Amino acid sequence: MNKSFTHNSGYAHWKKKAMLIILAGTLVTLLSGIICLNFGAVSIRPGEIISLLLNSNNYDKTKSLIIWQLRAPRIILGILTGAALSMVGGVFQGILRNPLADPYILGVSAGAALGACIGIAFQYITGYAFASYLPLFAFLGAMLSLYLVYRSSKISFSANSTGLLLSGVAITFLFSALITVLLAFSRRELHSMVFWLMGDLSAANWQKINIITLPVIFGSILLYFSSLDLNALALGEEEALHLGVNTGKLRIRIFLIGSIIIATIVSFTGLIGFVGLIIPHIARLLVGPDHRIMLPIASFLGGIFLIFCDVLARILVSPTEIPIGAITAIVGVPIFIYLLRRNRQ
Amino acid sequence: MEKSNHFLTLKDICFSYNGTNKILTNINISIERTELIGIIGPNGSGKTTLLNVISGILKPDVGDIFLQNKNINHLSIEKIAKLISVVPQNNWVTFNFKAGEVVFMGRMPYISRIKGEKPEDYQISREAMRKTHSLSLSDKNIQQISGGERQRVFLAKALAQTPELLLLDEFTSHLDLKYKYEMLNLLKHILKKEKLTIISTFHDLNLASIASDRLLLLNKGKVEKIGNPVDVLTEKNIYKVYKVKPILINHPEFNVPQVIM
Repeated sequence: MNKSFTHNSGYAHWKKKAMLIILAGTLVTLLSGIICLNFGAVSIRPGEIISLLLNSNNYDKTKSLIIWQLRAPRIILGILTGAALSMVGGVFQGILRNPLADPYILGVSAGAALGACIGIAFQYITGYAFASYLPLFAFLGAMLSLYLVYRSSKISFSANSTGLLLSGVAITFLFSALITVLLAFSRRELHSMVFWLMGDLSAANWQKINIITLPVIFGSILLYFSSLDLNALALGEEEALHLGVNTGKLRIRIFLIGSIIIATIVSFTGLIGFVGLIIPHIARLLVGPDHRIMLPIASFLGGIFLIFCDVLARILVSPTEIPIGAITAIVGVPIFIYLLRRNRQ
Repeated sequence: MEKSNHFLTLKDICFSYNGTNKILTNINISIERTELIGIIGPNGSGKTTLLNVISGILKPDVGDIFLQNKNINHLSIEKIAKLISVVPQNNWVTFNFKAGEVVFMGRMPYISRIKGEKPEDYQISREAMRKTHSLSLSDKNIQQISGGERQRVFLAKALAQTPELLLLDEFTSHLDLKYKYEMLNLLKHILKKEKLTIISTFHDLNLASIASDRLLLLNKGKVEKIGNPVDVLTEKNIYKVYKVKPILINHPEFNVPQVIM
């Protein structure tokens, strides 16, 4: 009696599939991480890396420091960031019913970046070291943009998807303009502000990872529990309501959790583009649109994609680094255009 | 609160989108189990709004709706989803799900978000696809099948919801003649077999006349007439509501009025 949907590939076996994805995804991510450890300004042989990983007291102190304090945290930060951006991009595309949505489309990231830039400006004006409070500034900025987007869309479009998208675009423009104004006034602090705008994983350390991990993992799990509701929403807002999905509450929950994740990430890494837009599409091409399968795949792909992009950012013009946001766009845009063309056909 | 013996009762329903512009005014109707009610009326007469009020996604300004003596306005949308299902007019799906996955979404109101689905949920979905002759579409992409096929899949989804009341919003509007009558026969068959009650809006008066046990003619948000097709589709009623003088003939096979211009 249980063989009912056996010929129907996707839905019935989603639990097995999800388990397999998590297992394989963890292994591949781990492997990719170890591969990425090999790249950097100082060359360390793979053999040395393996023995350093297994026994950190061994070998020389500098190499151990490079692996454990520079490269490893950077890779872990990259994995968490890529996974979070892809996860949030995927759920935002689902909740907005718009394949062009990304974590930045609602202005959350622009808000976070503006918050961070204001924090940096304060730091230079007052002379106090705000550095450890910058995530707080970024978070407040993200919440402000979210509030503005929600309010302005409510007035004109009764909080539907089109209204949210349009006001998201508008708020992003506004906040980007404000950032430009801040940049025009700044001198020495210019460099640290550009950091927020281009995205950068180079400042990774274990302390930052400790702060990021909980909101990213916990938030992603919460988002994952809305997978079925997001599936229903693909049929349309009214259809989802007819299926008993409280779309209003769902929207608020998704936007709030997604924004908290993005605000946390952005405040440590800046704006890394295209990951959150493209990876969910690749995931859908690979395993179909069922969010219960698609979201875990997207998370793993996003993490892996980002650490390889980061390797490119480090080695292409070594010892100088290219901002990772530029690499993801250079790699991402051709894929994006390919997908657009494919969609039209 | 007084109880009624009808399957579905609408009492003094008024609805407006912003409080001033009334879309529905004083709707009072009672519907019995296993009836097929056709809602007709010109564009903007409130057909779809009435359907959305019955399905509970629009709350009336005043008035109550009783389904089997339960007040719809007091039920959560999760509870309503187990009693009423809807085949929408617009059946575009954002992402390219498989048809079988779309049907399975009909089980949403019964599935715990944490525990997941039960084997019976698959059985019910499969059964719903069998009833609507859409089982062979199960593995096809929903965006790639024809409008008629998609409508069958959405009917299967609505049946998988195992409702008491099935609402259809102009389910034939995008279909050509062959599919129209195919869907109609399918619907009549399902109605009889499943003891479902169906309310459907119709754009096509002739199809409504053939399909429905009773017709509800709306005029600017008010009930102009409710009754058998013969009593509703009269020259006088049609002229009053549609502002055109029709020619009425009798359908030789179904013995119901048909409107020609």
